[in-house]
Amino acid sequence: MSLDIMPPLMFGGLVIFLLLGFPVAFSLCAVGLFFGFLSIELGFFTMAYLGNLPLRVFGILSNDLLLAIPFFTLMGAILERCGLAEDLLEGTGQLFGKIPGGLAYAVILVGAVLGAITGTVAASVIAMGMISLPIMIRYGYDMRIATGVIAASGTITQLIPPSLVLIVLGDQLGKSVGDMYAGAIGPSILQILLFIGFIAVVSIVAPHKMPPLPPEALMPRGWPLYRRVLKGMVPSIALIFLVLGTIFMGLATPTEAGAMGAVGAMLLAMMNGTFSWKLLRQAMGNTMRLTAMVIYILIGATVFSLVFQGVDGSHWVEHLLSHLPGGQTGFLIFVNVFIFFLAFFLDFFEIAFIVVPLLAPVATKLDIDLIWFGVLLCINLQTSFMHPPFGFALFYLRSIAPKSVLTKDIYLGAIPWLCLQLVLVAIVIYWPETVTFFLDRGTGVDPASVTIEVPPPPPVDDDAVPVFR
Amino acid sequence: MSVTQVPAGEGVMDLLLAFSRGVDWVNEKFGRLADWCILLACAISAGNALSRYGFNISSNAWLEVQWYLFAAVVMLGASYTLFRNEHVRVDLLYGWMSDRGRLYVDIFGLILFLLPAMILLTWMTWPFFLDSLMRNEGSASPGGLLRWPAKLLLPLGFFLLLLQGLSELIKRVALLRGPVQGVAVVTEYQRPEQ
Repeated sequence: MSLDIMPPLMFGGLVIFLLLGFPVAFSLCAVGLFFGFLSIELGFFTMAYLGNLPLRVFGILSNDLLLAIPFFTLMGAILERCGLAEDLLEGTGQLFGKIPGGLAYAVILVGAVLGAITGTVAASVIAMGMISLPIMIRYGYDMRIATGVIAASGTITQLIPPSLVLIVLGDQLGKSVGDMYAGAIGPSILQILLFIGFIAVVSIVAPHKMPPLPPEALMPRGWPLYRRVLKGMVPSIALIFLVLGTIFMGLATPTEAGAMGAVGAMLLAMMNGTFSWKLLRQAMGNTMRLTAMVIYILIGATVFSLVFQGVDGSHWVEHLLSHLPGGQTGFLIFVNVFIFFLAFFLDFFEIAFIVVPLLAPVATKLDIDLIWFGVLLCINLQTSFMHPPFGFALFYLRSIAPKSVLTKDIYLGAIPWLCLQLVLVAIVIYWPETVTFFLDRGTGVDPASVTIEVPPPPPVDDDAVPVFR
Repeated sequence: MSVTQVPAGEGVMDLLLAFSRGVDWVNEKFGRLADWCILLACAISAGNALSRYGFNISSNAWLEVQWYLFAAVVMLGASYTLFRNEHVRVDLLYGWMSDRGRLYVDIFGLILFLLPAMILLTWMTWPFFLDSLMRNEGSASPGGLLRWPAKLLLPLGFFLLLLQGLSELIKRVALLRGPVQGVAVVTEYQRPEQ
């Protein structure tokens, strides 16, 4: 057996075993170890090479950055149970209720705010589906518009910092999470504008699909309403500042910001009077299991990729991908189409841990900015939540939507938003500035052009007594 | 979660199921411990950030405790996560299979993937820990912590997962033979919330 056929064999084996449906983490470990020992037997590398494994695993566990995963998850798990979303949605819904499409705008904006503080699609979609969907249906919104806007706004959280996807991608691409977050700001804003624009266009073309709230459903303008809005907005903005502000100002690492965010979320729940021991225990349990699950996939992927590198797998992938026509753009389009389809049956953790490490070296070779690349992948992975019939966001929405909402409507409602997200992918591919504009580009000075001129030392009298300073 | 009650078998099976019960109990306790590690890590990390800016104090030991706890969360919590059937799967085909089909997939995967992989990983990480213990290896940064407790988590965690894998295997084989009592098995699978 020659070395050339090992990488495709390994990759093919992995695909088959993953499709079986046994947990991904252990399938990765097993396939990696099996091919590892096979390769030792065949003399492709030695036992000493596989001996790096404990060190690699230990490297994952001692990685400060990955620690941000449980912290942000804990923060989201507490916030989704503390009633913040309710205050936000009802308040802003009333505020915008008077105009056609008002409830839809409220959902988009609240989706963005929730995205900037929590980071789980499930929490956003479920909260908005439970609160806004019944109101939208009652006041005559088109079913597809209502379900589409809720599912799509829930996925904004994937792209908007502090998104877990960006942390994981930053780790895999070897870029700082702060930069990944900064790079995602532009596309997040664009996405929100695209969504709002879509609603605006539909409200002009087909106003009957999103009528304004009738006067009897509107709370009177005045303090009770404003207080409701403020009660949701003020703590949210304080939390956003606490988390994102400290990261962008360089005061805290993303990990510390996540920890402070989780503590802040607990305080907020206490102020809302929704904090309880049970809530905290549940949130801790969920966070623990999610963290163990995600990091085990990473451990499995590490076992796999160590062996895959050992059999020259990276050359194989590079060889496959570097001959694509169209250079940078050709590669990006190919990768995005590839990941778009992969995302039909793989979750973002699997894509980030298995596929991204294979693509990153090729991207570097093609001179692609890895932050741009990462943000692009993040937007693309967002679409995986919206694909009918497997999209997570649709699945969550189905689980809480009333029976009167047809599954067909949820699927068809998702399609325009899916297209909007693809438009965003295209925009970001053709205008990398949307990402790089918000990146702090250092001093703007090319280090190669810097010359250091040191004045010559003052002439020293040779006869003087030497002085040691 | 849906918990299926598994009926009592006879003889050897009873013994094996008792083993399962024991393993489940132990790993549940470790899972509890991992829950608390999260909260503790969170408090310490937030405290580190505050004390650095508030009082200008920072200590490498406290920075390292954070990821020691993180390592504990992952290594000690994974076996309970397996018990709860919450390790993510590709459910393209799995989602369409019958209950019995899923039991067969699990048994196949446990025997061929999980158990051998965990045996190998325990076997490979044990000397890694021993070496650190023998050398009394310390941290590279001043004021840091001893390394062996963190390194002990690797073989321990893989071993706990090996035990849980055995327990799940026993329970699933028992389920194939008919309903059993006295142990909890989670056969229902839901993709994790993200």
